[in-house]
Amino acid sequence: MKNPPTFARRLQFTSPVRWLLPVLLLLLFLSVLFWLPWQARQMESNERQEQLIADTLWVEQTIRFQLARNEESLFNLGADIAKGMLPASSVHERLQQMLRNGRELQRVIWLDTEGQVRASSDHTLSQDTHFSPLSLTAGDNARRLHRGQYAQPAQQSGFPDAPPGTMLMDYHQPLYNGQHYIGSLVATYQVSSLLDEMVPWWFAQDNQISLIDRDDKILARRAAAGPGHGVYTHKRALDVPGANITLFTDSVKSQPKLLPNLLVGSVIALSLGLLWSLLALWRHISRRLTAEGALRQQMLFRTAMENSLVTGMRARDLEGRVTYVNPAFCQMVGYTSEEILGRLPPMPYWAPEAMDEYQQRFVKALAGNATPQFETHFQRPDGTRVPVLIFEAPLVDKNGKQTGWMGSVLDISDRKRVEELNRQQQEKLQTSSRLATMGELASMLAHELNQPLAAISSYTTGALNLIKRASDSGQPVQPNTLKPALEQASAQAQRAGQIIRSVHDFVRKSEPQRQDVDIRTLVDGIRALIDLQARKFYVTILEELPPELPLLHADPVMIEQVLLNLTRNAIEAMQDAAPGRRIMRLRASYDARQEMVTVDVIDQGHGIPADVAERLFSPFFSTKAEGMGMGLNICRTAIEFHGGALTFGANPAGGTIFTFSVPAVPRAAGNSQHLHA
Amino acid sequence: MLHIIDDEEVVRDSLSWLAASRSIEARSYASGQQFLDSLDGTFDEQGDCVLLDVRMPDMNGIALFDQLVKRDLTARLPVIFLTGHGDVPMAVDSLKRGAFDFFEKPFNDNDLMDRVQQGLANSRQAGELAAVHARLATLSTREREVLDLILAGKMNKVVADKLGISMRTVEVHRAHIFDKMQVKTAVELAGLLK
Repeated sequence: MKNPPTFARRLQFTSPVRWLLPVLLLLLFLSVLFWLPWQARQMESNERQEQLIADTLWVEQTIRFQLARNEESLFNLGADIAKGMLPASSVHERLQQMLRNGRELQRVIWLDTEGQVRASSDHTLSQDTHFSPLSLTAGDNARRLHRGQYAQPAQQSGFPDAPPGTMLMDYHQPLYNGQHYIGSLVATYQVSSLLDEMVPWWFAQDNQISLIDRDDKILARRAAAGPGHGVYTHKRALDVPGANITLFTDSVKSQPKLLPNLLVGSVIALSLGLLWSLLALWRHISRRLTAEGALRQQMLFRTAMENSLVTGMRARDLEGRVTYVNPAFCQMVGYTSEEILGRLPPMPYWAPEAMDEYQQRFVKALAGNATPQFETHFQRPDGTRVPVLIFEAPLVDKNGKQTGWMGSVLDISDRKRVEELNRQQQEKLQTSSRLATMGELASMLAHELNQPLAAISSYTTGALNLIKRASDSGQPVQPNTLKPALEQASAQAQRAGQIIRSVHDFVRKSEPQRQDVDIRTLVDGIRALIDLQARKFYVTILEELPPELPLLHADPVMIEQVLLNLTRNAIEAMQDAAPGRRIMRLRASYDARQEMVTVDVIDQGHGIPADVAERLFSPFFSTKAEGMGMGLNICRTAIEFHGGALTFGANPAGGTIFTFSVPAVPRAAGNSQHLHA
Repeated sequence: MLHIIDDEEVVRDSLSWLAASRSIEARSYASGQQFLDSLDGTFDEQGDCVLLDVRMPDMNGIALFDQLVKRDLTARLPVIFLTGHGDVPMAVDSLKRGAFDFFEKPFNDNDLMDRVQQGLANSRQAGELAAVHARLATLSTREREVLDLILAGKMNKVVADKLGISMRTVEVHRAHIFDKMQVKTAVELAGLLK
């Protein structure tokens, strides 16, 4: 069996390549899957960072702007004080107003040149200023530079309403009247208030905002939404003269997490799933390949087995369609499997003469009861017949449902030949023994009859001689001289008659042993013998024996002999006929008027020429080389013993019809006396 | 004399009757042995003939014929075989060995009798020949020489000259020869020894 080169089969030869491509694709797919979320995260991260920077800048600007406004207020106030137009009470008024405007301001005081408090935003004018060293330094710097200066934030005392440890930052605004220093305005910021007041809530909500000094020491912190995660941070120096403060924002947002995690999670899960399924697929495929290999091996083995079988195999489905044949079967019938497969009966190898037989069997098989074993013959394309023995068995699938019929077909030509040889041998033996018996009988009969006949002849010749001699000499014949001879002749004639009678008596002694038998039982009994003959010449036998026939009142053995003889003649008459015409029919009918059962043996053979027909029943007449010429004679004698008749006539369809009749058992009596042979 | 040898009495009887109707003297024997026993060295002057059935119990026709051949009697006793169906090859064989004839049953009776008469004639001649030979055998050597010359037609004188004996002696021999050969004249002698 040839396998067409399939795609899968081609791939099998390039196994590494087959795996390389999907693996590469998978890797690419996975890397893209991993890279995309990473990239997205990266982009989001950048975006957030930029947002943070922008917001931080904005906050810084806000703080700076507020500080600048306060600086300006103080400068204006300073300018007014310097002009000397303002009384201390109105300064206090203005300072208080300033404090109200800027809640980040803890305190604003007006110091004179001696450092005494001239006015304060507080209600009470306390002299207790408690400036930190850093603040004092800033004050000095401011005076010297003629410009406002911030002091580095530090803890200060003197602020009872401020929480302890509060970082405070002083702004010193020196006041000059011309070039003359006339005092300072000192504004004290609570550093934490800077953040609390000036950072908008929405920013504070997302970020931890700190103000740190040069040493990263935290001056103030606002962490409304908890501590920052240190992922998105930005530092921005606050541009405040004299002080070194940096705004540090730290987003509470951690790395962008949820979505990427989901993505990565799903990617990993999917990848794992993919890998698993791929592995499963690979294992499945390898299992399938193994199974396929085993199957192919099995298949090859089976094919080899089927091919080497000498038994023909034929499978048919339930409709009789041929679904499988093996080479041995094809060889047997001489057709290729293409010519047979898928065919419905009639099959090309059916012999025409046995068509009915096949059809009957086929119909039986369709009905569900196939003949399990039978012999038949098939026809090859060249017309030769091949005798076969067929075993038929139902073909059952794994569910126990019958799907068709499986037949093993044995070519039994050899067996048939041996059988035939045996049969011929047997026949020869029988013939020769029969010949010997017949010869002996004939010779004995001849000898027995010869003596009296010869004697009679001699006596009469002698008597004639005497009469002649007497007439020659003119003397009358003496009756006494002739008498003994004639008496003797008569006696011998009597003796001859006696011999004949004794033979007759001998034959008559084998009176038929009559029984009531069914003609079909008789035919069945010798059917095997007839079949044996028929198969030799590929003759098909058709029986037309109606079951309603009455029983015969006859000697079964004799009728069997007659049937055997007639069928044998019929079969042999057809040995040179065309194969399709080799059909012998056995037909029985009831002649009610004569109360006889009539049996016809009908052949389609060479027929009987007129000259042969005349002598057909004569003893020792035969058209066969090895025939004794007694067959038909004996048949007729046997039938006539029964009170019947044996006749023959030409078959209108060609060939001959031999007909014999045998008395039937009267209907009423027959039923009770039926012997089951 | 016709000798009928058959185990069947009816055959012997009918053949005897037939022979009688042709004026042939016949004698019948029920077996071969009976016939052999009857042989005493003498023969019928009218000649003998044997009708022999091939199939007989005890000693069959062929065995009897073998005996006759052995005794060198077939010339004096011409044998006619009567055979049944199937005995022909055997009969032909015996014919080659000196049997006179064979008849297959059933046979034409008068034909058989004709052959019997020929057989009798042959037997008669054989008997005469045997007698002449027997007489010749009695002649002395000298008498044979004289006989030969006489048969050659020589006169007594010529014979005497040839044999270197006297005329008288020749005449004595001649008288002896005639005497022994039971003839009276030379012509008769020549006819006998033809």
